[in-house]
Amino acid sequence: MIQLILSLFVGLVLVVSLYFFARRAKPSAEGSAQQLREARQTLDSLQYGLLPNDLVERIFAREDLEYVFSAAPPDVQSLFLADRKNVALGWVRRVRAAVLELMRFHRGHARLHARLSFSTEIRLALNFAGLLTACRLLQITFYLRGPYAAPGMVRTAAAAASRVCSISENSLAFLNVKGVDPLNSGAARHRA
Amino acid sequence: MKKSINLTDVELAADDLRRHTLSHMPEPLERMIYLGSTRDYNTGLYYHDGLASRFSDEVACEALANCHREAYRMLLSSSVEDLVLQIDSYIRSTHAAPRDFIAAWKSLQPYRVAVPASTDPLAVEFLCGNVRVALAIWAAHRDGRSRQRPDASPQLSPVR
Repeated sequence: MIQLILSLFVGLVLVVSLYFFARRAKPSAEGSAQQLREARQTLDSLQYGLLPNDLVERIFAREDLEYVFSAAPPDVQSLFLADRKNVALGWVRRVRAAVLELMRFHRGHARLHARLSFSTEIRLALNFAGLLTACRLLQITFYLRGPYAAPGMVRTAAAAASRVCSISENSLAFLNVKGVDPLNSGAARHRA
Repeated sequence: MKKSINLTDVELAADDLRRHTLSHMPEPLERMIYLGSTRDYNTGLYYHDGLASRFSDEVACEALANCHREAYRMLLSSSVEDLVLQIDSYIRSTHAAPRDFIAAWKSLQPYRVAVPASTDPLAVEFLCGNVRVALAIWAAHRDGRSRQRPDASPQLSPVR
């Protein structure tokens, strides 16, 4: 009798698990497309908005610090440091948020659309983990010691983020629509 | 604006703009402020009578937008020291009284609305911070020097 009850219980648990698994495995086409679009936007914002070398180098350029400290009065120096700290913190916060967004996307959907090899998946997971840790460390460093405290770590984080972008790009490559007239889309872009 | 336009025409119009109107504005700051002012803030479209009469409204709009983005990118990659020099050059070109200029720029911050559309907010924040600091350095040098010689130009680059 006890065995029968146990078997029924295990069976019930399995059926319930299967039900939830089936519900999760079938995202609606509309929701899926929306998430793909969002992932593409996140990737674009990371690649073209936050990670271009010239922007990163400019934000963390020591030459600005040296110039301001040699040419500006103390109140302007404080203003400069506060501004740069805010920008540096904003930069790392946005990189981290974009990486988290891409990670969520990969965990939930990328495997349904792209055939990533096991080694690529492992590499991606390690990159995500390393990058998130680096971002958190950078946030703490910027907060405590200012935006110029860890130039090496900034470069490492930016390089790791670029690697993650390249891998993510492969899994989202099918979203790149060819043959779209850039001028027509450009006209819309000019509207404020 | 829906009409499709020729890329070559846009390039020609942009070259024309660089060779004529923009050749009088060598600094990216001045270019960005000027090109931002050619944009209708209600529609986001750029207008330039001379360019439109030579090409078309659409081509002129696209060329102005391209040059605007170009000036913005150049300004974004300028160092603070370079920005101080650009502000100095711009103030001279406007012939405005420096005190009025500084007061207006500090309160109205016209550079905020002069950036192209669809630019990254963090980059805009970075640029505006740099301009604010450069403006403060320019004003500090001017005030410091004004106490010595009221008509002399500020020593803008002590590092050099």
